[in-house]
Amino acid sequence: MSNTQSIAPVPIDQIVKATKIFSQRTLAPSFGHGFLPYFSFKQGYLNLNNGSYGALPKVVTEACNELMAWQEENTDFYYRIGFIPPLINVREQLAKLVGASDVDELVMVANASTGLGLVLRNFLWQSGDAIVRCNTTYATIYKTIQYIHDVTPGVQISEFQLIFPTTPQAILDRWTKHIHNVKRSSPQGKNIVAVIDSIVANPAAAMPWKEMVKICKDAGIWTIVDGAHSVGQEVLNLADCGADFFVSNCHKWLNSKRGAAFLWMPKESQKIMLTTIPTSASYVTPGPDRPETNIISQFQYNGTIDYTTYLSVHVALQWREWIGGEAAIHAYCNNLAREGGKILAQTMNTTVMDPNGEFTKAMVNVTLPFPSDFQAQYDPSIGTALSNKLLAQNKYAVTYYHNNIWWTRVSAQIWNELDDFKTLGNALITICGEIVTEHKNANVPQDCKADSFHLYLQQPIRGAVALDLNNGVGAPRPITTTKVTPVGYHTHLASIRP
Amino acid sequence: MRECFSFDPEYINMNHGSYGSLPSPVAEAIKPYYALAEANPDLFHRFTSIDLIRNVRERMAKFIGAAHAEEVVFVPNASHGLNTILRDFTWNEGDIICSCNTSYKSISTTAQYISDIPPHPENAQFSILFPTSHTKIIQDWRAYLQSLNETRAQSARELGRRPKIVAIIDSIISVPGALLPWKEMVKICKEEDVWSVVDGAHSIGQEPDLNLAEADPDFWVTNCHKWLYAKRSCALLYVPKRNQHIIKASFPTSHAYISPEKRDVLNFVEQFEWNGTIDFVPYISASCALDFRAWLGGEHVINAYCHRIALEGGKRLAQILGTEIIDEGQDFQFTLNMVNVAVPFPPTMSSDFEIDMAFRRKLLIKKKIYPAFFYHNGKWWTRCSAQVWSQVEDFEFLGEAILEACKEIVREFGDGSEEKAIREIGKEVENLTLKI
Repeated sequence: MSNTQSIAPVPIDQIVKATKIFSQRTLAPSFGHGFLPYFSFKQGYLNLNNGSYGALPKVVTEACNELMAWQEENTDFYYRIGFIPPLINVREQLAKLVGASDVDELVMVANASTGLGLVLRNFLWQSGDAIVRCNTTYATIYKTIQYIHDVTPGVQISEFQLIFPTTPQAILDRWTKHIHNVKRSSPQGKNIVAVIDSIVANPAAAMPWKEMVKICKDAGIWTIVDGAHSVGQEVLNLADCGADFFVSNCHKWLNSKRGAAFLWMPKESQKIMLTTIPTSASYVTPGPDRPETNIISQFQYNGTIDYTTYLSVHVALQWREWIGGEAAIHAYCNNLAREGGKILAQTMNTTVMDPNGEFTKAMVNVTLPFPSDFQAQYDPSIGTALSNKLLAQNKYAVTYYHNNIWWTRVSAQIWNELDDFKTLGNALITICGEIVTEHKNANVPQDCKADSFHLYLQQPIRGAVALDLNNGVGAPRPITTTKVTPVGYHTHLASIRP
Repeated sequence: MRECFSFDPEYINMNHGSYGSLPSPVAEAIKPYYALAEANPDLFHRFTSIDLIRNVRERMAKFIGAAHAEEVVFVPNASHGLNTILRDFTWNEGDIICSCNTSYKSISTTAQYISDIPPHPENAQFSILFPTSHTKIIQDWRAYLQSLNETRAQSARELGRRPKIVAIIDSIISVPGALLPWKEMVKICKEEDVWSVVDGAHSIGQEPDLNLAEADPDFWVTNCHKWLYAKRSCALLYVPKRNQHIIKASFPTSHAYISPEKRDVLNFVEQFEWNGTIDFVPYISASCALDFRAWLGGEHVINAYCHRIALEGGKRLAQILGTEIIDEGQDFQFTLNMVNVAVPFPPTMSSDFEIDMAFRRKLLIKKKIYPAFFYHNGKWWTRCSAQVWSQVEDFEFLGEAILEACKEIVREFGDGSEEKAIREIGKEVENLTLKI
């Protein structure tokens, strides 16, 4: 006797006006510095590190403001009805983009760490199970695996060493041996799960991950792919990839608001997934009464969050079409990374890690101009000094220590040009020189503040209510200021988070 | 006051309790932080946001009366905080996880999940049925924990070791929106050697003068985006130092995680400072929200108004509907800023979720007004939230709308008397069959 009345979904394009620009025939600028006005970077900031946190185009920022205003207009409508159709639509678009066979293989999560953590924690681990990770596995995942080992007696960790420079074939040969050994030493009927990076973060390296997945699959080993850097940087065709799980961040290379990623899991893999974290109100105890699609329903709502991050993917995809489309973007960035890396190495008189470009997409690694005896031992204060001094110069690229060498990892994006790599190179020459001198003279500043960095942070942040009289609200303005005090070297933060 | 919020002008917001509301001044105040995040993403995410959030954490710790700032961290929402706690316990056979029939649904399912996986701790449920009183609940709680302790003693004999009991207690239940004597219940937990995990989702900004160091629960979480006006999503997880060893890892696990046996200092705060890239500005917004609330007059002024409107509005609504407020027999001791009024359905009315869906169509969509509806102890109720923009007139408008909706719903779904009659005939037939 139900009297259901269908509620018409409200498409995002009706809510968001900022994207009107996309329908205009005006062409987007060509890739390069001409795109800087479309982003919100501080004047003169040289951003060579898209890889860590991505960047939100102004258009997408405005669209997000409109989406947040929509959320506040009638919050009950939004959270009970409104967000659902646009979210399904985003999942459909992403499923198409990454070559999933069905929208119900793909759900949204906050970030890759969450997606991978969810999968790893859903396995019912038992003594004798094994998890394969690499020395280069991203820190949060590396530690998640450590945590599982710590809380489940008898779960083994098998670590594969990945040392660059190397070749894809060399990696595959050693990986085959490694997987063979793990399989051989694993008791009958126990789970073995391998976490494989599609693109390693530090060093930046696009791996032969599909071949690595196949080797595992042939050995009956579960594969969870950390594709954090993949979507928007490379073409994906997940239906053919053979992996059991794949996770990627939309806020890195796909221009969405931060806090949006997807988890792909084909139907077979969904059997592993018992619950979201937090557990959803729609969770059903595993058993014959539980619908097959229960886990997908669970992902719709698991605690109040701001869905704007997920919905922003819709606008991000429109942006990318407007500026030239995936193929054009990949071509520009990948080419620039390769050519830029050469320029950078030339400028600093050092070397590119991957001269043949076998591992290079939009990120390139180049050694830093330190004397070899200077880098023989790992000294975290060098990493922090590099980070701080770059920021003081209004520039940024990641620096890290690998294989007894200090490297820089540079991201090539649509707002970058070849010149940027030269500029970075000259800056790094100066910075590295300073660091060597400071160490030689045992002159490492105690609280490690470069003068200009200090000035950079001098602006007091208004942390309080600003009721603008012009708004018509007519209220007085109580202002308190939150002063940002530089805290000095954050060793473990700056050097570990790529 | 509506000028300070950005609601659709035709929408009367009577359900602030579910998702909170972001005041326009707070939305404005956080714009500079969003600008910073894009001006230099590396500087913001590696340094600036970390420092800012540390300051805000300290401010929030003071606000809730924690003994140390290091006992308070940010999490995305209360469900996330509670899941972190419950998953970090090392569960063993014989352990008991105890929730209530009135626990928030997803927390009940969390307890269910934990019980579903090995080693299958027992999932127990304490029952609260309104109308009731604080005194009765306290009495029943003590008796219940004592009975759980008898079960535990029996298990201890069988297992050769003493299992643990973990109780999840709401400070303020969601549906009905009801303040529980949670501090007394926490005390009783201590007396009965039971862990107290308090779901304070609705507390901050509604329950004035929180003093956690005094109340001393074992764990406590609250949503800042509900009654405190922070941006979604923003919540606090409070773990006193003595219990931080229980929290082995955040979710997701942090790069700062150290294996418990290698951990020689508490690294609780470090583990929660970075758990993957998210939008960090909601955490910062909690501070802006406090500034706005101070400007409005402060916690007591805000809550005095909301409480008064909840009671006056609730009484008016009950008058119009010809029904009652859930705790009017107990001098409204359960009512803070949310008031629960019975819906004028016949007593046989179905408890089906379809009835709630019907209210959504008729009230939320058609009339642009919507309080929460729920079925409890044989009746349908509505839970109305009173906020700084609320007026008694809103309850009058709501009353008329509900009356109309109820008539329509009974017409569409029937009043359940047919089903009841069928059930009774069925029983009669059964009895006759047995006699034969």
